[in-house]
Amino acid sequence: MIALAPSKADEAFATLLPADASPSERASFAQFRQAGLPSRRVESWHYSDLRARLRTVPPLAAAPDDASLSVARGKLGASARLRIVTVDGFYAPDLSDDVSKIAGVAIASARETDFLGAAADPLLDLNAALSRGGFVLDIAAGARIDPVIEIVALTGAQTDRSRFGRNLIRLGAKARAQIVETRDEGFAGFGDSALFIELGEDAQLDHACRCRETAGVELQSFTATLAARAKLRSVALLAQTPFLRRQYFVSLAGEGAQLHLGGAAVLGRNDHADVTLVVRHDAPHGLSRETFKYVLADHANGVFQGKITVPPHAQKTDGKMMCRGLLLSDEAALSAKPELEIFADDVACGHGAAVTKLDAQNLFYLETRGIPTIEAEKILIDAFAADVFDALESEVLRDLLRVDLSEILGEETLV
Amino acid sequence: MLEIENLHVSIAGKKILNGLTLTVEDGQVAAIMGPNGSGKSTLSYVVAGRADYEVEQGSIRLDGIDLLRKSAAERAALGLFLVFQYPLEIPGVATMTFLKAAINAQRRARGESDLPIPDFMKQVRAAAQKLDISQDMLKRPVNVGFSGGEKKRMEILQMALLEPRFAILDEMDSGLDIDALKTCAEGVNALRGKDRGLLVITHYQRLLDFISPDIVHVMSRGKIVKSGGPELALALEASGYAEYAEGAAA
Ligand SMILES: Nc1ncnc2c1ncn2[C@@H]1O[C@H](COP(=O)(O)OP(=O)(O)O)[C@@H](O)[C@H]1O
Ligand SMILES: [Mg+2]
Repeated sequence: MIALAPSKADEAFATLLPADASPSERASFAQFRQAGLPSRRVESWHYSDLRARLRTVPPLAAAPDDASLSVARGKLGASARLRIVTVDGFYAPDLSDDVSKIAGVAIASARETDFLGAAADPLLDLNAALSRGGFVLDIAAGARIDPVIEIVALTGAQTDRSRFGRNLIRLGAKARAQIVETRDEGFAGFGDSALFIELGEDAQLDHACRCRETAGVELQSFTATLAARAKLRSVALLAQTPFLRRQYFVSLAGEGAQLHLGGAAVLGRNDHADVTLVVRHDAPHGLSRETFKYVLADHANGVFQGKITVPPHAQKTDGKMMCRGLLLSDEAALSAKPELEIFADDVACGHGAAVTKLDAQNLFYLETRGIPTIEAEKILIDAFAADVFDALESEVLRDLLRVDLSEILGEETLV
Repeated sequence: MLEIENLHVSIAGKKILNGLTLTVEDGQVAAIMGPNGSGKSTLSYVVAGRADYEVEQGSIRLDGIDLLRKSAAERAALGLFLVFQYPLEIPGVATMTFLKAAINAQRRARGESDLPIPDFMKQVRAAAQKLDISQDMLKRPVNVGFSGGEKKRMEILQMALLEPRFAILDEMDSGLDIDALKTCAEGVNALRGKDRGLLVITHYQRLLDFISPDIVHVMSRGKIVKSGGPELALALEASGYAEYAEGAAA
């Protein structure tokens, strides 16, 4: 590999490592420094040249003080849901509901040792080195949590900051929960957040992520490990993303685990959203479904990279990966790179990618019923994107995403 | 009243309507019969406002309003309705969502407020029952997986809910068995009235046994070539379209 001279941003990160960093934080940081910010010359970053994009690195966000807590509180409307709030990546108990009053739920500040292994990725290394103040949410074995728990990520800063949230959700054996994550940290700054999910045997988690306003440059890493027969269903709705890379590292570690991943990106302006999946079937009889859809208007740029790996021992794997784009402008683009790496012989795996435009006949049909063109287009766009929500079993989460999507389509002028 | 005058239409450089002139009075049920390829569907699409046809000459007026200057949705809001020969399937759009959007769009265009949900539900349920449309069909996406007959019944349901001033029915009978045809025809007949004009397009006389027309027009090669009473349809049934077919002496 060609060694690149450190960029200005690389150098700037060097100043962010706190003096009291632990040995393992220092080790992670050294790994990041060695790789440097990924550029398009790194294959998996080919479509998202972070090195070119990230010119300046804002100061590290500090643990929230009274002033930033009050900024964040101002953004936090009322809600009937139980909420766990983070401010600039730090768990903020003062703004959060006490979820531990639900039987079987416990929350605590995260320690370094809580996090098990992570994928080899420079941004995960950077996150491990610089993050502070995350939480661990534990759902006890056998607990069945009916109320939806919401994780809200806000900023309390008035100026650009670099944020490194790092949180862990653990479900014990046979536990069940539904969690919605609302990311609303704002356009400014740099974000490199990481969410870790560990599902015990037979555990089931429905997870919806609503990405409203991401940072100017934002990385989101989603790492999940599924024990035998665990089921993870996770859908993300991405909008207003100046430059977003959302990367998934999922291991179906136990036999018969099931993974349903979905995403809908609604992009306009010069928005850039890159979804990169690395799904590994590490045991027999696993099932995975990945469906990602992109609505692309203006000069928007969508990227989908999906890799499903099936080692020799993961027989009877059933994997299907699909990416679809709806192009609303000639200047918008979708780059799709689905890949299968299959080393087992008795598997059923497939992938596909397709790009379409709005169907003129369908539009005409709606218009002849009196529905004006713009509304008719939104109905068809909504229908295109919303079907990824069906990956979730939780009706409540599906409805939350549906409402969000129609709000986004209501606000955006896409066509 | 629908007035079409000297309409010339082409698509992709191919001339399809050649100076078609036709008037349908309020309260009148007019039939257009014609061989396949004579331009019947083209006529219905052009009146409804499909954008990919080129109108080279002529005019289309509904109650004196120039439709050619209006979008398809505006035409619908003025009271025009088209029963499609081949209704479209729209995956992902729930039938009820679609019906509500259509009804409210037209109400808004007329300056009315949205129909309250309970009233909407009541109206849909009543109209669906008359057309033998099950709750299950209403729960599915628009026309997706419907049989030919179910699609046509769904078209008539929309027509009943939207209460158009003027409706064009493009080969409503195609793909229908006799029972479905009866159900649809009853639905259409219930909407006959002195204020509503209907243009019933068909290839076969059979439909006109169920929806009896006041006047019958014969269309050939893009224009009306003959008009007469209901007996004209019976004569056509006996003689066939041979004398009107492509290539026959005019
Ligand atoms: N989009 C189109 N492009 C080219 N030719 C067309 C198109 N639509 C219709 N036509 C042609 O126009 C003629 C009339 O078609 P149509 O209006 O469907 O007739 P009808 O409904 O009477 O059977 C046919 O020859 C058909 O092939
Ligand atoms: Mg036709």
